[in-house]
Amino acid sequence: MDRSPVAFDQNFSGAAGDFPVLLRRKGLLAPAAANPLPQAGTPEKTWQPTEATTILAFKFSGGVLVAGDRRATAGNTVVYDRADKVLEIDRHSIMAIAGVPATAWEMARVLEHSFQYFRRTQLQEMSVDGKVRALSKLLRDNFGFVMQGVGVVVPIFATYDSHPKPEARLYFYDAMGAQFEVTDYAATGSGSPAVRGILYYENNWGAKPLQELGEDEAVSIALRALDTAAESDTSTGGVDRSGKIYPLIKIVSREGITTLPESKIAAVFKETVA
Amino acid sequence: MIEEPYRWVEAIANRREYIEAQLAPGSPIASLGYRDGILFLTVGQTRQKIFEIYDRIAMGAIGHPGDIERLRMAAIELASTEGFTRSATDVSLRRLVHYSLSPVMKSAFEQVYGPPYLARMLFAEVGEQPEEDLFLRVEYDGEIAANGATYAQARQDFAALSGTQQSRELMEAFLASQHAPDANLESALNSALDAWSIGHMTLQTSDAKEPPERSAVRKHRQEQLANAGIEAAVLERDAGRAIRYRSLSDSKLRPLIRD
Repeated sequence: MDRSPVAFDQNFSGAAGDFPVLLRRKGLLAPAAANPLPQAGTPEKTWQPTEATTILAFKFSGGVLVAGDRRATAGNTVVYDRADKVLEIDRHSIMAIAGVPATAWEMARVLEHSFQYFRRTQLQEMSVDGKVRALSKLLRDNFGFVMQGVGVVVPIFATYDSHPKPEARLYFYDAMGAQFEVTDYAATGSGSPAVRGILYYENNWGAKPLQELGEDEAVSIALRALDTAAESDTSTGGVDRSGKIYPLIKIVSREGITTLPESKIAAVFKETVA
Repeated sequence: MIEEPYRWVEAIANRREYIEAQLAPGSPIASLGYRDGILFLTVGQTRQKIFEIYDRIAMGAIGHPGDIERLRMAAIELASTEGFTRSATDVSLRRLVHYSLSPVMKSAFEQVYGPPYLARMLFAEVGEQPEEDLFLRVEYDGEIAANGATYAQARQDFAALSGTQQSRELMEAFLASQHAPDANLESALNSALDAWSIGHMTLQTSDAKEPPERSAVRKHRQEQLANAGIEAAVLERDAGRAIRYRSLSDSKLRPLIRD
């Protein structure tokens, strides 16, 4: 341990409680990648970044539902059928990821530790705006890698804000780190166009708007949407009927995060989807 | 001045005396292992004295706020980077204190041209079972006292921190006789308040060998609690979630106090 007061530097540089700054100082996190300049003679794009997955989130009467399929692919090959793309960051925040798993999981890990580190060092919880911005900054730092054709991540962030008034908040991001707060629903990944269509339709002309759905109805719509995405998108797993692998569904509410048990998802699936 | 060895010893002795005098008025902190976790408690809320370090580790400290802050920050940084690069279960209080904090505090104390740390700290790490709870007291000179069993002392399920050695020893004697490791939160809270009162009462007296009378302790406790607030936190044993630290508010604890 260095006797020189690291905390001193931090607290005076305006980076108080910034965990990525600490990691970079200790050489534990790659520095932000520079955007490569286009070179003469190289094709504009050698590799098409894909976000092969489907992630969706929408607000319903019990908070925010976040769902993701379980398939991980490499090109045309399915490499894993139980991938966890809906990740808990803290007691009230979920990051759902579409994109390159290595980068996405590392980002989730940095983010999780960032929030804890901030609370422990600064003795107060990071605000929702601060958390949203922290993810945005990680994406921005990663953009150089995205331009080099590796490590694209396009996440959704769902959380429950208690200040100034208790409400669920939902954001989606682009690969450069721009954040967009949505009022009703968000979807990313290769299967998202179909999902977006379904959620738009349900919200406007369905039995009731998404925000008024009960939990079972919300789960049912999420399963139907993922199943629809899987119908045309090879990179989305949907529901594996023979292997009994169901999407991962988590709910963020005022009380915290609930992971729906597989038995419950299976029951709703059997009743309303299959 | 201190080229000669005995001058150095003298300088160290002076420094020790100076630091002890600075720390002497520090309000005590009691830490008790109980059935559902570990309770940290002190009375008085002018500034925070009990802190979360990592998922299963908490710290209480007396001393100069600037020094406490630097040590606290260092402990959090070490634990957080360890937890990030490896895993939360690899973060160990024993390693944190023995290999990182203690050597730094020792060398700061012994380099007589530089400033020492004016701080005395109490760390606790909650285990799966009460027998695995670890308490470590770290002195300004890097000295470490643990709660484990030795030939001279049975294993302790508690630890105390106070401005003077005498005050701390009386708190420990009280807890050794009165505190049961399978106590519930209410019993632990009341034992902790009594221990705090004993520590606080004996800060000023110079030769108290015996703890004060029970009635005097009760009276002192009531007087202090009438004006001052309780600062408390627990490390929960429940393995349901990773982060075990939870601060307890004064208003939540008041109804549990038995007079």
